[in-house]
Amino acid sequence: MSEKIYAWLLRLYPSRFRETYGDEALQLFRDRSRDERGFVPRLRLWFDLVADFALSMPREYFRVQPKLVSYSAHLRSDGVPSFFALTDEPLGSGALFFGSVLSVAALITFSVLLNHGVKHVPLSALLRPTQGAADSRSSAFSPPAQQAATYNGEEGTIWSAARRQPRTAISPSPQTSAMARNFQIDAPPLPESAEPVQQQSRGAASSLHVEVKLGATERHHVVEAAATILEKNYIDRDNAQKMADALRAHEKSGDDDAATAGAAFAALLTHQMREVSPDRHLTLDYSETPLPQHPLEPTPEGLARYREALKQQNCTFEKVEILPHNIGYVKLNSFPDVSVCQRTAESAMTSVNGANLLIFDLRENRGGEPSMVAFMAAYLFDHPEYLYNPRENTTERSWTRSPVPGNRLADKPAYVLTSARTFSGAEQFCYDLKMLKRVTLVGETTGGAAHSGVWHRIDDHFGMGIPETKAINPFSKSDWAEVGVEPGVKVRAGDALETAVKLAESKLPRK
Amino acid sequence: MPKQKLNPLPSAAFQIMLALAGRDLHGYGMMRQVVKQTDGRIRPGPGTLYRSIQALLDAKLIEEMEPREDASLGNERRRYYRLTSAGRKLARSEAERLADLLRVARSRKILRGEYV
Repeated sequence: MSEKIYAWLLRLYPSRFRETYGDEALQLFRDRSRDERGFVPRLRLWFDLVADFALSMPREYFRVQPKLVSYSAHLRSDGVPSFFALTDEPLGSGALFFGSVLSVAALITFSVLLNHGVKHVPLSALLRPTQGAADSRSSAFSPPAQQAATYNGEEGTIWSAARRQPRTAISPSPQTSAMARNFQIDAPPLPESAEPVQQQSRGAASSLHVEVKLGATERHHVVEAAATILEKNYIDRDNAQKMADALRAHEKSGDDDAATAGAAFAALLTHQMREVSPDRHLTLDYSETPLPQHPLEPTPEGLARYREALKQQNCTFEKVEILPHNIGYVKLNSFPDVSVCQRTAESAMTSVNGANLLIFDLRENRGGEPSMVAFMAAYLFDHPEYLYNPRENTTERSWTRSPVPGNRLADKPAYVLTSARTFSGAEQFCYDLKMLKRVTLVGETTGGAAHSGVWHRIDDHFGMGIPETKAINPFSKSDWAEVGVEPGVKVRAGDALETAVKLAESKLPRK
Repeated sequence: MPKQKLNPLPSAAFQIMLALAGRDLHGYGMMRQVVKQTDGRIRPGPGTLYRSIQALLDAKLIEEMEPREDASLGNERRRYYRLTSAGRKLARSEAERLADLLRVARSRKILRGEYV
């Protein structure tokens, strides 16, 4: 713990210092901690460190770099620019301040332009000379809705189109996907006859929505809808009623009156609900871009494309290799549908079956099917093991199908490489195997996407995600939602493989 | 990394040079030696220590040696440093300068004592 604190303090030093002496400073800290035990020596150690930090850190930053002068002399006078990397130059606080201001200004400008300012023509509209050509291009540039529903390459999240549940997880549009991607979409289709009229009125409402502040009527509508959805669907009936009552009571007592902006109002309602039931999977969101009317069901054609895309990508098994020292290395970039990828997964695992140790590389894995998570995890056990999955009720499918016939990996050490972009199903793999103490995670804390709610659309701009399943988590009170899974060995994602290989080599018996 | 000036020679840098006058040492070894030779009055922290080491390296007063293990501290490899002949010379002249000061202090009755 104390080493972590000191490592954090070290991060405040300039990068050059850290690069040259960071490891040694940490080593020195470890040496002193080992030798200076007891309350008084430990207190003195920390006093020394804090005093040293206070004295030496500002000096590292505020000394002017004399090299700058010699570099400026290199600039050529004939107008031809020449470039030098001034990595030694300390950044002044003024430069940092203006840099931040400039970045924020640029961000605001872009977001305003993207959302309001320019009426843009979609690229696909410009590139549509013939119907046939448009079709083929659509698969390359803008995947049709059904394809997006099943294989969202951008998000990297693969959901099975052939899910057993009637709901289908989709990313409705690029704008709303960020908001809705954590949830399964569940909004019943509207009657056909009513749709055009509603669309029209909603369209008008939505254009007003962007510019006009939220009124009492609109707020009441959202509160009522949210309360009804809670009462109807939330997993814990008692809390559902309490939350619904709380939402209505807050509205009545005028607590919501100040919230005239959509996002602020959504955040307020989320807060009000979580006050009653501190459930991080429960959220009410606001989207400036109108939310789609109803989810898009996958078509057989979309399913076929999904299977084809998976096959072409070797079911996202990017690498399956035996590294030196007989280390099996499996780089898997999603957990695809078992019904499509069972064979590929089996052959991948067979080819590393003789390894002394396994490394699963999930640094680019954005998640996927819980069934594939269980399928892969099965190889690491010689008996059925329970895997916690917040997305599904606990059933017999929650256990791995271990032992896998012919498998020799059940007792082999295993490492899983993680990054901040390891999401969802991949996090389930990491979380469960970490909790079962079956693997060592090496890399960065994962993204924190538990994907465990069902998405309900309230109107064009408001929607809510609520948990409708109750899975038993035998390991801990909370899972990885929003916080991610913390690795046992924390290193930069880029260094994770090297670190894991080093750890592995030290673990393997030397010949 | 910003350069530290060595003229006048800071006390921490001089203590490090004195520590290295006896034998080659790694960072923690230097720190322990400095604590020992100053009776605990100076306990250089990592920031001060490595900043001084860098300054002494830049001025070629000390040099870095091949990393090796210190058997008494486990099997981690450590960077060792040793005094160069220029460093030894400078340390001697600094010591002489201080000895001169001491003589003056004594003659002015500011300091009393048997030794040095």
